[in-house]
Amino acid sequence: MSRKLVIVWTVILALVLVACGGQPQAAAPAQPAAQPTQAPAKATEAPKATEAPKATEAAKAAPAAGKATGEPIKIGALYDLTGATADVGTLYAKGLQAYVEWKNANGGINGRPIQLIGQDYGYKVPNAEQLYSQYTTQDKVLAIQGWGTADTEALRPKIAEDKIPFMSASYSVNLAFPKETPYNFLVGTTYSEQLQVGIQWAAEDWKKKGKTGAPKIAYLHSNSGFGLSPLDDGDKTATALGMEKGLRIPMPAATADMTAQLTQAQQYGASYIFIQNTSGAAATAMKTAKTLGMTPNVQIVCLNWCTDELVLKLAADAGEGLVGVTPYAFPDASLPGMKDAFEFAKTKGTTVEAEGLHYTQGWWTMAIMAEGIKRVLDGGKPLTGENLKAALETIKDLDTGGVTSAKITFTPDDHRGQKTVDLYQAKGGKWTSLAKGVSVK
Amino acid sequence: MESGIFHTTYQRDMALRHTPAQWVRLALVVAAALAFPFAANNYWLTLANQIGIAAIGAIGLNILVGFTGQISLGQGAFLAVGAYSAGILTKQLGIPWYASTVLACLITAGVGAVFGMPALRLKGLYLAIATLAAQEIIEWGILQWEPITRLTGGVEAMNVPRPTLFGVRMNTDFNFYWVTLLCLALTVILAVNLFRTRTGRAFVAIRDQDIAAEVMGVDLFRYKVLAFAVSSAFVGLAGALTAHYRTIISWERFTLETSILYLAMIIIGGLGSVSGSIYGAAFMTLLPAILQNLGRSLGGTVPNIAQQIPFLQQGVFGLVIILFLVFEPEGIAKMWRNVKDYFRLWPFSY
Repeated sequence: MSRKLVIVWTVILALVLVACGGQPQAAAPAQPAAQPTQAPAKATEAPKATEAPKATEAAKAAPAAGKATGEPIKIGALYDLTGATADVGTLYAKGLQAYVEWKNANGGINGRPIQLIGQDYGYKVPNAEQLYSQYTTQDKVLAIQGWGTADTEALRPKIAEDKIPFMSASYSVNLAFPKETPYNFLVGTTYSEQLQVGIQWAAEDWKKKGKTGAPKIAYLHSNSGFGLSPLDDGDKTATALGMEKGLRIPMPAATADMTAQLTQAQQYGASYIFIQNTSGAAATAMKTAKTLGMTPNVQIVCLNWCTDELVLKLAADAGEGLVGVTPYAFPDASLPGMKDAFEFAKTKGTTVEAEGLHYTQGWWTMAIMAEGIKRVLDGGKPLTGENLKAALETIKDLDTGGVTSAKITFTPDDHRGQKTVDLYQAKGGKWTSLAKGVSVK
Repeated sequence: MESGIFHTTYQRDMALRHTPAQWVRLALVVAAALAFPFAANNYWLTLANQIGIAAIGAIGLNILVGFTGQISLGQGAFLAVGAYSAGILTKQLGIPWYASTVLACLITAGVGAVFGMPALRLKGLYLAIATLAAQEIIEWGILQWEPITRLTGGVEAMNVPRPTLFGVRMNTDFNFYWVTLLCLALTVILAVNLFRTRTGRAFVAIRDQDIAAEVMGVDLFRYKVLAFAVSSAFVGLAGALTAHYRTIISWERFTLETSILYLAMIIIGGLGSVSGSIYGAAFMTLLPAILQNLGRSLGGTVPNIAQQIPFLQQGVFGLVIILFLVFEPEGIAKMWRNVKDYFRLWPFSY
């Protein structure tokens, strides 16, 4: 190796060392990617318990509208913008960010802005652990907006221990009950209940079509904790309704063709196929099913992460007839809960329709967390994880203006925000409503 | 200045460290490792623990791939075996965490040996595919096979009781740092000395030319299986430490992607080098963290770049790895050697 190269490498190694060594200092004053520009007004540290009542008084004096100028409230966020579920993760992240920006421009929470510290973790558990540790130790966030099933479950013990209220976009039933996971909150209906409602609908639909006996069902699922989470509960409902347990077919991670998987379902004789995956993968399955001539004889049903505009766009005419089970409403300007989002999107040169259902899903997940924070501040209590958890548990029948299937309720022993779902069917490239507010019987 | 290192006894020749400078460097590294947790916050301790555990796993894999020349894509699965064994032993049987860690190493060694048996007949890419099968079979077993899922909990993540020692909770970032450091030190000492023994020499002989090794009297089957067992024992240790550190095990941490990540660690760090495994583990853990932090500071200062940062990070991550491999295929360990040689021989390097 020549001398020059050695020198080059020495320099590079030195730079790396400098980068590592200098990071804590460099990261502290740095502005996070999603942070609103108007946030820090006071150069103080994280909120101290003794300072909080003072801050509340100041907040009360602050005008209700206009830019928030108080001490920022730090919320961490884990986005999937590049990983396996980035197709829907990007839209959800935009929704979270949009709410924060809108809220801060409209007075914040009692005059205090939200500082959203968000980073992509690429759907990888170790990355999520690193970011979690950074948010809780360096940024000292009050709460975290999470994303996937695997990472939320991996963080479970830490979340409970550090008392960090954590809202995941994973609606795995394992995260729903405070006995096991005291600081996890789910705004949506659990995947288990979504699948159970789907299977109940299938049984009714089967009868309606005048067929006898029980239909055979198959689950086409993401090969991950997310995909596998609802299947056991689905089987319970299926056997209760006189069906056989569903055939489990894992979907490959990235592929343009699912002939092998769908042929398996075909040979098994499945009349209903339930997809628990994100829109990209579901669209591929729909296209393959059409090529194989399975649809419309075989009915495909999507749970909430593939019930959106994206799946119909990607599947095009192959998406016809797809049934969707979701606790979230599609963009509709007439819904009172979407008014702010519609107006905000307009100022950004886009529309909620273009961003899609996951945008308002993210928006409202953040809004519900903000509601909890507001209740803590209104009660004159210091902003701590424990107080936020307690405040969120006081939320009862919170009206989201039609954005969610049910009004949001959290109780000290049940952190499922909703227990019902809406059913939709794709007709002519558009989702049309089949039923509203359906719950597991 | 010196003109070379001359050994006058066999003992000196076999020594791991030949010059005073090497001892000084070792002392500095040890001092830095001991002082680090007192200076670092929890974030850096988390990273250090992740690196330490990854380094143990990478050394294990390097024994198999770098020293014995047997490619393995089953790393993720063997980590899972270690993690789940430790978890089940502690949770179901109430065995203390340190004992279950040791037992997990032995269990993983056994499992590794069984899945290493095809190595007798298969070489190179064929063996890689056989170990890929091991990865899939073990993953399926943990998730779907009834007798095992009853223990592992299948899809659901498994909670492991918190490790304590004399009433002190061990899985805080600070306390676990010492556990990781001790295990890493033991692993390094064992691995470095392994290659001064008959067994270690046999591994290297198999890597260099297996037929010649057999002619020299190396029992191929025995030593290949032994390489799998020894390697898996260390990998099992890394898995067990993950279980006790995070106190929760989910199978998604141990997929094929993890196997490939570990292969990347040892290739970038340096195949057939114990210290290279550590450099590789540190590099692959720190690079995303550094890029993330850089992205964070950039996002605040350069407008309109925030949305592109995740993609830039991915691109840079790939680019850095390619550059490393292009400029130094023998890895970071070789680069570090070059730097040392340069200064040692300065100003008359040739």
